[in-house]
Amino acid sequence: MRKHSVKSAAIVVGVLLVAGACGTNKTESGASGGACDTSKGTLIVGVIAPQSGGLSALGLGIKNSAQLAVDEANEKCTVKGYKLAVDTQDDEANPAKGAQAATKLSSDPNVVGVVGTLNSSVAQTVQPILSQKKIVQVSPANTNPTLTRGEAFATAPKRAFDTYFRVCATDELQGPFAANYLVGKAGKKKIAIITDGKTYGEGLAAEFAKQATAKGAQIVAQEKVGEKDTDFAGVIAKIAGSTPDALYYGGEYPQAAPLSKQMKSSGLNIPLMGGDGIYDDKYISLGGGDGDLATSVGAPTDKLDSAKAFVDAYAKKGYKDAYGAYGAFSYDAANSIIGGLATALNGGDWAESKREDLLKAVGAYSGSGATGSIKFDEFGDSTNKVLTVYQVTGGKWNSAETGEFTG
Amino acid sequence: MSTLLQQLANGVVQGALIALIALGYTMVYGIIQLINFAHGEVFMVGAYGGLATYTWLVPEAVKDVWYVSLPLVLLGGVAISVVVALLMERFAYRPLRNAPRLAPLITALGVSVFLQEFVRNFYPNATAALPFPGAFVQGQLSLGPIKISWTGVLLIFVSIILSLLLQTYINRSRMGRAMRATAQDPDTAKLMGVNPDRVIVLTFVLGAALAGVAGVLFGTYYTNINTDMGFQTGIFAFTAAVLGGVGSIRGAVVGAFIIGLVKTLAGQYMPGGTSYDYVWIFVVLILVLVFRPQGLFGEPERVRA
Amino acid sequence: MSKIANTVKPFARPLAVVGGVLLIVAALLPWVTFSLNSGNYPDRATLQYFDAPFGVTGFRWHILLLGVLVLIATFAPIPNKGRVIRSLGWGGLAVALINSVFIVAEGGGLGAITAADGSSAFGGVVGVVAGIAVILAGTGLGIEPPTKWKLTLSTPLAYLVLLVTFAAVLVAVSATLTAGGQGGPANPYAGGLFLSFLGFAAGLLTALNGVGLVGWISELSEKHRIFSVVVLLACALLLPFTGAGSEYWMTVAANIGIYAATAIGLNIVVGLAGLLDLGYVAFMGIGAVVAANLSGAAASKIGLDLPFPVAAVIAAIIAGIFGAIVGSPTLRVRGDYLAIVTLAFGEIFTRSAQNNIGGLTNGANAIPGVPPLDLFGKEFNQSLSIGSVQLPAGVLYYVLIVLLVAGVMAIFANLKFSRIGRAWIAIREDEDAARAMGIKTGKAKILAFLVGATLAGLAGAVFAHKNGTVSYESFKFLESVTLLAAVILGGMGSIPGAVLGASLLFVLPEKLREFSDYRLMIFGLALVLIMRFRPQGLVPDRHRRAELADEDVGGVPVDEVHEHDTKGAKA
Repeated sequence: MRKHSVKSAAIVVGVLLVAGACGTNKTESGASGGACDTSKGTLIVGVIAPQSGGLSALGLGIKNSAQLAVDEANEKCTVKGYKLAVDTQDDEANPAKGAQAATKLSSDPNVVGVVGTLNSSVAQTVQPILSQKKIVQVSPANTNPTLTRGEAFATAPKRAFDTYFRVCATDELQGPFAANYLVGKAGKKKIAIITDGKTYGEGLAAEFAKQATAKGAQIVAQEKVGEKDTDFAGVIAKIAGSTPDALYYGGEYPQAAPLSKQMKSSGLNIPLMGGDGIYDDKYISLGGGDGDLATSVGAPTDKLDSAKAFVDAYAKKGYKDAYGAYGAFSYDAANSIIGGLATALNGGDWAESKREDLLKAVGAYSGSGATGSIKFDEFGDSTNKVLTVYQVTGGKWNSAETGEFTG
Repeated sequence: MSTLLQQLANGVVQGALIALIALGYTMVYGIIQLINFAHGEVFMVGAYGGLATYTWLVPEAVKDVWYVSLPLVLLGGVAISVVVALLMERFAYRPLRNAPRLAPLITALGVSVFLQEFVRNFYPNATAALPFPGAFVQGQLSLGPIKISWTGVLLIFVSIILSLLLQTYINRSRMGRAMRATAQDPDTAKLMGVNPDRVIVLTFVLGAALAGVAGVLFGTYYTNINTDMGFQTGIFAFTAAVLGGVGSIRGAVVGAFIIGLVKTLAGQYMPGGTSYDYVWIFVVLILVLVFRPQGLFGEPERVRA
Repeated sequence: MSKIANTVKPFARPLAVVGGVLLIVAALLPWVTFSLNSGNYPDRATLQYFDAPFGVTGFRWHILLLGVLVLIATFAPIPNKGRVIRSLGWGGLAVALINSVFIVAEGGGLGAITAADGSSAFGGVVGVVAGIAVILAGTGLGIEPPTKWKLTLSTPLAYLVLLVTFAAVLVAVSATLTAGGQGGPANPYAGGLFLSFLGFAAGLLTALNGVGLVGWISELSEKHRIFSVVVLLACALLLPFTGAGSEYWMTVAANIGIYAATAIGLNIVVGLAGLLDLGYVAFMGIGAVVAANLSGAAASKIGLDLPFPVAAVIAAIIAGIFGAIVGSPTLRVRGDYLAIVTLAFGEIFTRSAQNNIGGLTNGANAIPGVPPLDLFGKEFNQSLSIGSVQLPAGVLYYVLIVLLVAGVMAIFANLKFSRIGRAWIAIREDEDAARAMGIKTGKAKILAFLVGATLAGLAGAVFAHKNGTVSYESFKFLESVTLLAAVILGGMGSIPGAVLGASLLFVLPEKLREFSDYRLMIFGLALVLIMRFRPQGLVPDRHRRAELADEDVGGVPVDEVHEHDTKGAKA
């Protein structure tokens, strides 16, 4: 045993010495670079999102997009006198770990705001911790309406935490908008619903079902699939028995795409509709077929310069992971914090006591982001009520209808 | 009625896939009494190996010629699965051959987590699901009201053929006899001139090869793969192996089809529908274990130290 | 092994001196050739060390200290010289290697630790060479099993020694938690520095073990058991007053405590009764769900708002009932099959909770807004001031959980040495023999599940209030595996083991957050390595240790097994 370990250690060291041609990555100017004045130090934008495990693809997109926003702000000297940096904390999609991540960030006086979380359940533990320190939190992905409007969100909305904002649409908006289109425009009257049992999908589908029924459609079947399921033949055969003319799926593209594919190849040729969780090019490459529909917040990317700019800038950075379903939102979330910070500081110095000002500044923030105009209402929800229905035609997502949700 | 028939067909396709994986569980357990939790990951690695072969090794010209590319992809998937299983056996399990029984079980859990995360971190873009070429065989078979895609038919066919071949091999060949002997009584088998290491390695290789085939066929059937796929399918397969009686080839196959059918039929007919289909599988498992602990085809448990 | 030892033997002593001196030299050399892109490597390791040649801090100070200790050990008349020197060598090698690897990775090539652009910095290389030299020298001097001291002390003196020791432990824990500082953009090298500190601490600790100090102290504390327990508890309660007393570490420590309490419960089932449970976290989940429903949270369907102690007891009882139900198949199912039954139960729990079974779990939306604990008119999530000392928020949870863990440990210890505890151990060793001896095995096994689940349910109730949200996502299969890993890492059946295991499994990912992409991969690999090199865990249970050495490691005599193990732990 000993012989082995010593020998292998020697080999490793030897190989390293031979192989490493004494290279370095030394850069002359250092990393700080740029022409901006960063004499006052570094301020930190925290990110809380899953970086490991099954949801890391979405979490990494959130991290990279926030990084992109911060890099751009550093280049443009948005916050005078300070360099901005991103501090990403893994929440493992676990509420308890999210609480730890939030406590860690909140104990750093240089943290100005936090972008996150991905999961609504994690947000529930993160909110009170950040709120105690008056740290602004802007979520790119939480869709649970209670996070902003409290438990009785529909009847007696009451702001839950004044530090919490979000740039994405809640289920209350997207679900009904989809129902209006599917029942009203597309004339589907017998709709089956499948959900994945997770917060996002369940909430979306519930709001969809309410509005669809109100518009005169009939929900003929309601089923659930597991978040790790791959075989949907059983559930498809089951809903096929009630001969629906459309399927609404509450969930994300990794399940939705094969579901759509398996459904069509089993002979049930009806469109699948989903929310922004399936509005992703991957949906099509993984099997989503022509005729499928998705809603997404904001005007279509190709009609919005700021969105195109984001997509190009992201591509240019060459990140290993795609920006994913929530990248654009994360970019906007980070920008709202950075923009608010620039306003709140207005060239002055940062101190923890400035967090109150920053909260107000973010609340009053208004800008044009990758997902459209970014502005918050009195509950911290995005006022961006522009939604677009996309349809897969010719192997690509094309916008079918853009409008404002009015009820 | 047509729904019932279709659901039965769906269950059979799922059962066929589970059977290919369950065989690996059952063989390994039969020989060294180890629940190889990482076997589901061997299946997953096989799918990624197949995808890698298709992406980088199959020449562009023959990618769409299924009778050329499918065998190549299968070969690639099986090769990767076998290599991973060999490494796993050599470096994780063999040193623990005589350790208390808990040790290899924990190791297997560790290997499972490691492989899953390894592929996720190092296979390009594997953080999310990846599309798998499904165009090998297109279209579907219609039998009255039942529709099964040709890839599903292929899956059933391959699964049954391979399990029959395996059964024959184990019953007829010299090495098969050595395997059975080792399973029954390792010490006596050793005295009779059987090399236990070779038998164990062979067991892992056979199981991994079947899992590799399953991985590639999974990919072609569902047209996409992800790093999580091994865990859930692996648990189903393991359940199937236990249901059939661990150590029994026939039991694993029968158990797999039962699991497939329970899942689809429970989703269709039981209260709670598809929300609880997964739960029913485990309920069946618990009931079988409580009332017939040796499984459907297993021998009553031997007394083990 | 012996071949190398024999080759080195004739000049082991000079080699140790050379190695020791080289370690000191390494500490006084620069380590990095240029200012790294993410900022200077800490502890003035870059060329700017010339500003203050003797202002050696951090990891360089550790290396210096190790070098001096090697020299002292070489010349001082200490027992078991070879083992001590070898341990110090491993420490030095670890510190040098870890820092070098980090510098190379950050600096983009070996130029960062050798020579680049006209400046040279060979601290890392010298350190590695010195470490290897010391290890070889130690081996050459001969390795004996840790020395046993025959020194006995009068009670007051023993108390004094124990007090000093535990105070040192407290300082060491605090130093470990704060080692490397809090990672983040401002401190990009925290992970590396922390690992380096661990290497240093492990080297030092194994050296002390080699001398026999560790064994002696543990014997001493065994003898003065009650005193030790009281002092240890006091030390745990003093942690908030040390450098680790930040809100962040209090939160982490409280979470560790919750999982440690659960792990102790699992230790009853797995460690004592030998029943493998792969769905154990479900009991914690049940406890959390019950407590959340009784807490008056807005999302709970039962409009009851019971005081926490009552709710916690109810949660524990209900979890215990489920434990007995899940345990009942043990009457018929054995071994690995039982593991599968428990796994199935765990999966059924998650799936049912996700489906909002009976309207109790609120499904995917989780139960948010579980109010923080509020006892004696003090909300537990507020900060606290005692006299003039301002303690961070979360400290009350920490205190509560330390007391909880202490209570659970007391229960465990009492059970372990009671009649039922011995019955469990008998079942673990040989169920048939146990039954033949008249033990009602079925009853005993169900009781193990019941007690284990009750403790988990209690921990779950605290968990619900501490985190404020109860979601099925917190109770998945991987959590069960983590708990099991904590028990095994610490040492099955061992009381401090489960706490140590849980601490390591939670502190390491916290300290190494910059590697979070690889967290699970490392976790998996670590499980494999632990089983390979130290299956009995870090703090093996006495009984268990004997068993593993006697029967299961293929007839290798006890001493050789130890030998083998310490190597594994360090490699």
